[in-house]
Amino acid sequence: MSTEPVDVLIVGAGASGAALAWSLAETRMSILCLEQGGWMDPAGYPGMKGHGEASQLGEFAFSPNARGRREDYPVNDGGSPIAVSMFNAVGGSTILYAAHFPRFHPSDFRVKSLDGVADDWPIDYRRLEPYYDVNARMMGVSGLAGDPAYPPKEVPLPPVALGKLGETLAGGFDRLGWHWWPSDSAITTLEYEGRAPCINAGTCLSGCAQGAKASTDITYWPPAIRQGVKLETHCRVREITVDENGMADGVVYYDAQGVERRQMAHVVVLACNGIGTPRLLLNSRSKHFPDGLANRSGLVGKNLMFHPYAMVTGIFAEPLEGYKGPTGCCIWSHEFYETDLARGFVRGYSFEMLRGFGPVSTALWGMGWGRIPSGVDHHRAYAELFDRTAGIAAICEDLPEAGNCVTLDGDLTDADGIPAPKITYRLSENSEKMLEHSVARATEVLEAAGAREVLVQSPLPFAGWHLMGTARMGADPERSVVNEWGRCHDVKNLFIVDGSIFVTAAAVNPTNTIQALALYIADTMKKNLANLFD
Amino acid sequence: MNEGKNDRRFSEDELETLACVLDHVVPPSDDGRLPGAGKVGVAAVVDEALHRMPEVRGMVAQGLSALDALARRRSSRAFATLPRDQQAELLNELAASEDAFPPILLLHVYNGYYQQGPVLEALGLEPRPPHPLGYEVEANDLRMLERVRRRGRLYRDC
Repeated sequence: MSTEPVDVLIVGAGASGAALAWSLAETRMSILCLEQGGWMDPAGYPGMKGHGEASQLGEFAFSPNARGRREDYPVNDGGSPIAVSMFNAVGGSTILYAAHFPRFHPSDFRVKSLDGVADDWPIDYRRLEPYYDVNARMMGVSGLAGDPAYPPKEVPLPPVALGKLGETLAGGFDRLGWHWWPSDSAITTLEYEGRAPCINAGTCLSGCAQGAKASTDITYWPPAIRQGVKLETHCRVREITVDENGMADGVVYYDAQGVERRQMAHVVVLACNGIGTPRLLLNSRSKHFPDGLANRSGLVGKNLMFHPYAMVTGIFAEPLEGYKGPTGCCIWSHEFYETDLARGFVRGYSFEMLRGFGPVSTALWGMGWGRIPSGVDHHRAYAELFDRTAGIAAICEDLPEAGNCVTLDGDLTDADGIPAPKITYRLSENSEKMLEHSVARATEVLEAAGAREVLVQSPLPFAGWHLMGTARMGADPERSVVNEWGRCHDVKNLFIVDGSIFVTAAAVNPTNTIQALALYIADTMKKNLANLFD
Repeated sequence: MNEGKNDRRFSEDELETLACVLDHVVPPSDDGRLPGAGKVGVAAVVDEALHRMPEVRGMVAQGLSALDALARRRSSRAFATLPRDQQAELLNELAASEDAFPPILLLHVYNGYYQQGPVLEALGLEPRPPHPLGYEVEANDLRMLERVRRRGRLYRDC
């Protein structure tokens, strides 16, 4: 490892770090990314060996606490009704995500102006629109143009096949006269840029061995590395250091052998997700920043937003072939997205329709519900469920609350002794009402589609996979951590590009918007290179 | 690490008893299409899974030992040699005792059972992993979206 300072040091090789690295590569600056995980080997994904859905209970579990890999750090989320999910590797959580890939709505950037709650973003949909388009091309997004829930947008590839399950659920929406549309998915449906098309294996949530699901290890990182970006794996950053002027000057990290090292940098970019980034900032104390780096506002770690999820599963009499097809990408509905106060809450939610369970998941899910006993009744009970289920996930917008936060745990540390994050979170009354409404509407859809029974889990406890708000963006340094292009108000050579900078959460999966923001921030950095720290 | 006694794997006798137990946990289906979990080899899968969970493995081994001890006290025979109905009675007795199998065993049994080739075939699936062949999903006629298109703009433009 060189002791020379690099021009740009990126911490984290996930969704946002990869997009930013690729965008900055053309500047030919010396760019280094440190990632605490490693490269994944697609040949080792469980779907290559069997119907390994139960691997999600082990090394491919959503929760870092369940996995306990060397690359993981523990998260104290026992005080939260929603448990945190994330993955540490080149590609970050895109290794395990479903690749459901909606954009924000224009109204999601104007929550205060339109609905009188939370805050407005200092940017709007039109500002991000060209970056959504770039991201669609780079990630290989499939979908269908013309969705009336969105302004006109580019979709490079045709939508994933809906199949019998998708058509059945669409029928339910049609009978009610509600909106539905094929989902935008970061899944290639044709051969695209050297990637193979989706083969409907249904193993998305434990890694895509086909390479059709867009994780950033196969999308942004290869061209970024070809253009000279350096990526060092199994390097865990402990803290960001500052010079005598309070400017970031590098990081202290543990290398792959666990040896403590120092890397100097002229610019530091954090891309560690909405838990990892505030954790790193809070762990980076100095005389300039006794409460954590870039935290003079006191807002680092505050305003943590998840998406409270309800999961409503319909049991049908006929087979749906639901074990085929991308697990979380089929159709969506934005019928209840925009605010209608007559519903009893402000803001709204989206529906993401889910495929059915594979053979192992059916057994484990049914066991969890007490529906699949062992013994003489086993086969009868199993046959009533296998290939007979379809799910509707309600993704509810979470409003920012200062009391929902990430702090440092006083006792828990990772394997390198770095204090772990602690989550304090409660569901708001608005979220509870929204969940209740979404469950009732999802039940209506499933019954209209022909479900003979509906099972509800609300809130979904393991659904803390969208991590937002903990280093929020804004124009006022007293009410935000970063400015409108991701630069920390307090440290002008420190940038944040992950979901921490979200002002509001919208009611859709955040990865597309996270990456669009990262591309926008990178572009703005490039345009301001001459006076980047002014 | 000293594994001279190989105490992180079940013995041959334990595996035989476990296979019998598993044929009660997931028995053969009435129509004969689906095999019992013991018959189709799930004991070996459980053995492999519990190799990494020594505490659970110990509890299962304790249950197997208690089962055999019960069998020998009642009939002077090993559990695995008893008729099925007598095995069922002893399993019920074990389940009510302090040597009952831990609930997590069922998770591993189901995980192993529903990956076995004969079981997948009986369910109408090809007996292979999802990759690398995947599955065919028929495309749909998206003219069904005409109703939604006609609704017009759904989002608030701002």
